[in-house]
Amino acid sequence: MEFLSSTFTSYMALVPVTLSQSLILAFVVMGIMIPFRTLHFPDLTSEGAYPLGGCVCGVLIAAGVNPALAIVAALLCGFLAGCCTALIHLRFRIHTLLAGILMMTMLYSINLRIMGKSNLSIFGSDSVYNWAPFVTPGFPASKIIIAGIIGAGVFLALNWFFKTEKGTALRAVGSNPAMAEAQGISVWVSTIVGVGLASAFSATSGALMVQSQGFADVNMGLGILINGLAALMIGEAVVGKQSVFRQLLAPFVGAIIYYQLVSLCLAAGMPPPDLKLATGLFVLAMLALPSLKRGRGAGGTPAREKFRE
Amino acid sequence: MLEIRSARKVFYAGQADEKVALDNLDLTLQTGEFGVVIGSNGAGKSTMLNAISGALPLDSGQILINGDDVTNTPVHTRATRIARVFQDPMLGTAASMTVAENMLLAELRSTKRTLARGLNAKRLADYKERLSALGLGLENRLETKVELLSGGQRQSLSLIMAVGGSPDLLLLDEHTAALDPRTADLVMQATVRAVDNLKLTTLMVTHNMQHAVDYGHRVIMLDAGRVKLEIGGAEKANVTVAKLVEHFAVKTDAMMLGA
Repeated sequence: MEFLSSTFTSYMALVPVTLSQSLILAFVVMGIMIPFRTLHFPDLTSEGAYPLGGCVCGVLIAAGVNPALAIVAALLCGFLAGCCTALIHLRFRIHTLLAGILMMTMLYSINLRIMGKSNLSIFGSDSVYNWAPFVTPGFPASKIIIAGIIGAGVFLALNWFFKTEKGTALRAVGSNPAMAEAQGISVWVSTIVGVGLASAFSATSGALMVQSQGFADVNMGLGILINGLAALMIGEAVVGKQSVFRQLLAPFVGAIIYYQLVSLCLAAGMPPPDLKLATGLFVLAMLALPSLKRGRGAGGTPAREKFRE
Repeated sequence: MLEIRSARKVFYAGQADEKVALDNLDLTLQTGEFGVVIGSNGAGKSTMLNAISGALPLDSGQILINGDDVTNTPVHTRATRIARVFQDPMLGTAASMTVAENMLLAELRSTKRTLARGLNAKRLADYKERLSALGLGLENRLETKVELLSGGQRQSLSLIMAVGGSPDLLLLDEHTAALDPRTADLVMQATVRAVDNLKLTTLMVTHNMQHAVDYGHRVIMLDAGRVKLEIGGAEKANVTVAKLVEHFAVKTDAMMLGA
């Protein structure tokens, strides 16, 4: 009883902070969802694009640049990184996962170069969260409001875009590239723009996070992909993915639930170092579930290329 | 009008298993003409269709559509003028998207895609009408994902998608081969209706000799990457399955004799 009540108290105290965090990280989840689900381009760039956005934003803010402008700059850098991954895959026919790993490894050095050191504090600098209406700056409420507004904007914009003529074409490239090409859609352009867009979201998330926590770190992306995947799967389990609307809602819902779960585990006394193992096991369980239901040995050994996405 | 001028394509050039798929092939299809291409496996039929659609670059030669040289344009650019129905029903449609969305993609094949809403009421009504012509009930399943349709329904949808917008050239790649006889017949009837009504310039590859006899203005037989035989006009009207098969038989005998 004692344990339950203390867990509950410490968890409740963390709810606002966790909520602000999850709304910021929902953009990474979006940056993972778009390539994995919409484009069928399993992509790992986010692991490098997220710290890239953070580093670019951190350096710019340290130099006195307007925080909103810093986010836009981070977004553009993320977009370029995503374009590079897509180009590596399209031009050299390298598997998307390997292209992503190459990109994220190279980005690590680039991020270090951008910052000049591994860690940069911008504590006390102006941030977009200071512009939140009605609330005192510096509290989680301001972050929830700002991240929530941007998130709602992104959701509405994407929900509109994917139903336009161009957006439908982009989804067709993910659904059936050969068919899309035969319908006059350039697979190259769509893939590059789509993966670029996804990485732009990851970078935006990094930039928002740096302004929230007051520092940038080259290692801030470590494990972000698996966290994002876990969040995405929870979101899809809750809201489904049958329609564009639901598929776009899943990252936000998933991020919110996932980080609350993590916070609950930590409040219950789980040692933080075990977190990645727990997340990894969770993702594994979610991926294994369909195959476990089907029973062992059905269909023989799968081909190596049959990745589950 | 489609013109293929001395098209040449060699696979594994310079290697032991070098294969000449297209051997200076010449072929002209007049505007509004319906050509049926037959030939044994490996005769170059698929290579020719892929070369026309742009999926396979030629080693040399030219491809012209309505007089414009399209030899060096990529697939998606040529798609503004060429529509294609594949043999595999899975290839011609986007499975995870709805029937209406697939229709939309096809409608936008030859136009510039904008940021306007894709599926508006006017378009949905138009798709309903066009699909009802098939008589398969697809008009009531516009919001159904294509992956839930049967192979025959998918292929019928592919056909409606392809003939919409009156393409300059329609390529049919054994498009009834993967269907059961009854569905194959339905799809073939729908094909002929559309081609006749819209006066489409059409090139159909088939292994079905009866189809080759019954449909089209001209039978074109390919062999070893070139046109071996063309039957058109009055001669086409009198041709029989047995006569067409005879031309295959000669070749098979020659192969058996080791020539």
